[in-house]
Amino acid sequence: MRTIVKTFATLREAFGGRGVLYLDLPDGSTIKDLLKALRGCGSVDELDDLVEGRSSVKVLVNGREITYLAGLETRLRDGDVVAFIPPVAGG
Amino acid sequence: MSSPSSPRSPEDELTQSEAERYDRQLRIAGFGRGSQLKLKRAKVAVVGAGGLGSAVLLYLAAAGVGRIKVVDDGVVELSNLNRQILYTTEDIGRPKPEAASRRLRELNPEIEIEPLQEKLTDENAEDLLKDVDLAIDCLDNFETRFILNRACVSNSKPLVHGAVYGLEGRLMTIIPRRSPCLACLIPRKPKEAAVVPVLGSLAGLVGALEALEAVKLLAGLGSSTAGRLLVIDGYDLSFYWIDVRRDPSCPICGEKWWIEER
Repeated sequence: MRTIVKTFATLREAFGGRGVLYLDLPDGSTIKDLLKALRGCGSVDELDDLVEGRSSVKVLVNGREITYLAGLETRLRDGDVVAFIPPVAGG
Repeated sequence: MSSPSSPRSPEDELTQSEAERYDRQLRIAGFGRGSQLKLKRAKVAVVGAGGLGSAVLLYLAAAGVGRIKVVDDGVVELSNLNRQILYTTEDIGRPKPEAASRRLRELNPEIEIEPLQEKLTDENAEDLLKDVDLAIDCLDNFETRFILNRACVSNSKPLVHGAVYGLEGRLMTIIPRRSPCLACLIPRKPKEAAVVPVLGSLAGLVGALEALEAVKLLAGLGSSTAGRLLVIDGYDLSFYWIDVRRDPSCPICGEKWWIEER
């Protein structure tokens, strides 16, 4: 299945300025699996923090934050859009 | 702050010139003279007078917010001018609060501007906030934002948070102990970037939204973004709303703190 990943701010930069990434994942994959797969696209400390549950990055699946779904165990379906939104501090 | 002997016009009525100056907003449904007088009597602290602060200050001054504190310890630099529309090339080298005050007084001489050339710290925060109705976060780093958040929570001052990065923006209003604070939203302080990329129009967009939130809170209009984070993606101009909950164990506004305070 194909997952569409939207990256924001510092994470966008960490993935080479690409705001959208397309990842092919096995059916039944979760957000945690997606995070592992993303490690292959670039080393990002913020994503490791996310796995360890100590991150301020908001993760949305089709616009809904995963806190209101099943957290890192949220199962993804073909065509889901997953957004990774870190806090920013510019002014 | 203003005493009966103040040169300012009376606080319970609008002068003829004020009625004309604010004519277009006095016509807004649900606004009217009562709301305008609330703005006239209000006092706000705008913390940070950069890209966000430029838009916030211009719009609050234009709207007739009666007293505005401008808090910033910086001077105007050439690299500010892509986004800090309050300043001109001639202002380079001038302290920002002073340059801002001059410009804002030209825009609206009927309000009071208090320029404060200082950095917000744990030591001066309470003093800076004690006489204001609300504060607006126009800062450019996490560290000072958390100082402002802490001070607003402990002094029960509403805080309008805004931030930008590149073509992105964030907005959330904080009503202390009633809605999530900045530490509930950002439980782990992220790494500070030395220099943050910003397009001026994004700072202007988020600053204009912060000014809107402030005016609504002061005038008692509409609903705020308390408990809802707005994320703006300028690349494709998409807007995301994220529900944010209060963290009961938040070290800043959590219940534990609240119980101890009482």
